[in-house]
Amino acid sequence: MTLAEPWRLLALLVVPVLWWLSLPSRPQTAVLTPHLQQWQLALAALRRRPPRWSRWRFLLLALAAAFAALAFAGPRAAGEPGSSRLVVVLDASASMAARGPDGRTAWARATDALRTTLPTVPADVEVTLLRAGGPLLRRHGASARALHDLGDPAGAIDADLATLAADAGRQPGVAVWTLTDGQGGRALPAAGARTVLRATGSNAAVLAVRLVDRWPLPALDLEVDVAAFVDASAIAALRVSGAIAAPSERTVELAPSTVRTEAFAVERLAAGGELSVRLELPGDVLAGDDVWRVELPPLPAPRIAVLADAEAGPFAAVAAEALAAEVGGGVVAAAGDQAVGVLLVEGGAIDLAPGAARAVTFGARLRGAAEAAAWPTPVVADWDRQGALTNGLDLSELRLQRAWRGVLPAGEAFLWADDAGVRTPLAVVAASAGGVASVHFAFRLQDGNLPLLAAFPQLLRRAFVRSYGEGAAPRVRSEPPPAGERDLRVAAAGDDVALPPFATPERDLAPWCVLLALAALALRAFVR
Amino acid sequence: MPPLFPPAFRERLHALIGQRAGFRGAPDARQRARRSVLSQSGTFVGHRPYEHGDDLRRIDWSAYARTGQLYVKQLEQEQRRTAALLLDLTASLHAGEPPRRVPLLRGAAVVGGFALAQLDGLTVLAPGAGALAERTFTGVAAVPELLAHLTALPVAAAGVGDAVGMLLQRGLPGRVHWFSDFAVPSACERPLHALRRRGAVVTGWLPELPADRAPQPTGYLRVTDPETGEELTLPVDEAFVAELRRQLALLAARQDRLFAQAGARLVRWRAPALDDHSAAAFAVFAARCEP
Repeated sequence: MTLAEPWRLLALLVVPVLWWLSLPSRPQTAVLTPHLQQWQLALAALRRRPPRWSRWRFLLLALAAAFAALAFAGPRAAGEPGSSRLVVVLDASASMAARGPDGRTAWARATDALRTTLPTVPADVEVTLLRAGGPLLRRHGASARALHDLGDPAGAIDADLATLAADAGRQPGVAVWTLTDGQGGRALPAAGARTVLRATGSNAAVLAVRLVDRWPLPALDLEVDVAAFVDASAIAALRVSGAIAAPSERTVELAPSTVRTEAFAVERLAAGGELSVRLELPGDVLAGDDVWRVELPPLPAPRIAVLADAEAGPFAAVAAEALAAEVGGGVVAAAGDQAVGVLLVEGGAIDLAPGAARAVTFGARLRGAAEAAAWPTPVVADWDRQGALTNGLDLSELRLQRAWRGVLPAGEAFLWADDAGVRTPLAVVAASAGGVASVHFAFRLQDGNLPLLAAFPQLLRRAFVRSYGEGAAPRVRSEPPPAGERDLRVAAAGDDVALPPFATPERDLAPWCVLLALAALALRAFVR
Repeated sequence: MPPLFPPAFRERLHALIGQRAGFRGAPDARQRARRSVLSQSGTFVGHRPYEHGDDLRRIDWSAYARTGQLYVKQLEQEQRRTAALLLDLTASLHAGEPPRRVPLLRGAAVVGGFALAQLDGLTVLAPGAGALAERTFTGVAAVPELLAHLTALPVAAAGVGDAVGMLLQRGLPGRVHWFSDFAVPSACERPLHALRRRGAVVTGWLPELPADRAPQPTGYLRVTDPETGEELTLPVDEAFVAELRRQLALLAARQDRLFAQAGARLVRWRAPALDDHSAAAFAVFAARCEP
């Protein structure tokens, strides 16, 4: 036993004071009598007791004072040596979702082991849980003990579990417990405790899906890469289903560990929805990588409105017709009270905030723009070869008779002219936070040969798509399975290692001392 | 301790002796013991139950025929008349204000003076007094000697049983004047009955102090028995005084009952003040010494 504050034992000096205080007061008058027996009988008849100093009462009082002083000094009992902190490294890679021989996933078995073991860890041991694999999670204390919000196994292990366990276990007083399935091609951790959750077997996976979206048209092309990590060739079923007009299914023969690509051309539903690609292989232990999902946006029914100034030629109307034919929409009048899918503006001025509405403007001055200045015969210098608008388009034949300086808002340029050696934007995309975008050209259609170029319809369609922003993009819901989490036929071998003993903390004996002091006082009440 | 026998007392003692006549003594027990072996003569004074060791010739067979119980005849021989003073010298007599020892020894002096004046002899037994434990006086001229003897008596720790044993050993039973506070009646019971069995006529003399009826002071007291040294510390209130008064009354009743059962007398007299040597203060002796 140790004392936190030994100097407080000076409080024991109160014991002599208690002794002095416990002495009965001395009577002032002394009487001699031969009849002491009668005095005693009178006392007994009145059921009285003479005040007297009781050795036992004082001893109990002194004992209570001693225990109180001891409690005041902070007595502590030494604890057992051992680890005072536990770091749990939980493999949460995608392969942990594989089912073992008992039909339960390695993840379920790992979390069960944690739920069983962590409550037995002494409460004073600090527990830290590291989820390795997928999004990195750290949980401490009660949250770690309760396994709060661990999620599902996914992704690859970014860190080497063996290194992680060794680093953590190198700190004094830290015990490491690794729970893993041994997949990923790396050795099991040698440091600390470990639990190996075996879940080996055949696995087929959808490795990748390349999507060619013809939005706003319903046509959708998919190229699906699949593979089977089996010992011998296997027959699998590959299904495409969901938000498409006709689900497609085909049987494929998969050679061991060989990637096979299958192409699908489907018609998407106008309402949009989830499209899934599912690979089914009998005996597949890991179902998580068998499905690829994408959220398809609904198809628009675009109404295209045209605004053209008085000097505009027929190009704006022709462009609208071409765009309508390209996206399956129609041309409507540009009335103020009518909602349209996209607005084509040719020349003139318009009260339009850049990026606030879906629009494609050609040489039009926007609200708040400076006075336009004519820019005669600008020479197209370059266009964005990587951007979504002009990628793959040939604009080298674009010739302009005139353009306008000052009509372009701030935005992302994708077409430039050589203005006295300086690249000056001829077209920009102005996007807003809500995903809506407007495309602006610094020249009118009638001032150049853009409508005559072969790339013009495609450029119009891409401008239409771009004006819809992210609302037109399919959202892929599946992550490709990590490379190390696909082949589950062989796992690192190793036995389980039990947890080391944990330290027990110093126990505070002050409450016991207080209890003993109270017990002594209670006993004293019965002693005469 | 104040002077036991101041001149005023001595004058009062001589006056009392001069006025007193007919003090009853008892035959010399030693002569009676010698004579009793030879004859069974004397004046019949009563019966007492037979005790082991009694002379079988003294059994009253007529009484046995009537009652079925063995009784022995008690005879009083009128031979040499003597008296014995049995004095309690224990420390308990120092209790009281004035100390009970003063009126007790003065009373013994008066009774002894009566005996010296009117009887053939007086034996003073003081158990525990060492060389002064037994002393015999003869004639009224020995009164000053008696007073000196009483003055010289120390405080003794010997019990009553020792004194009575000594008395019986000397064969002195006769008229015995026992001066004591009789604080523990149960301790007096056996000696008293033993004296009675041996034919002694016992008179108990108990000087009473005011504290024998009720404690004088109240409050927080330390009460000490001067004989045993035992102490008692206690608060004394009215309820306790009332109860103690009741206990002291019970004690007095027990003392009276003790002497009555032994066929003896117990004479209480109020202890006078130290300097009170009036005739009234000693009237009790003139009145009660004559049966």
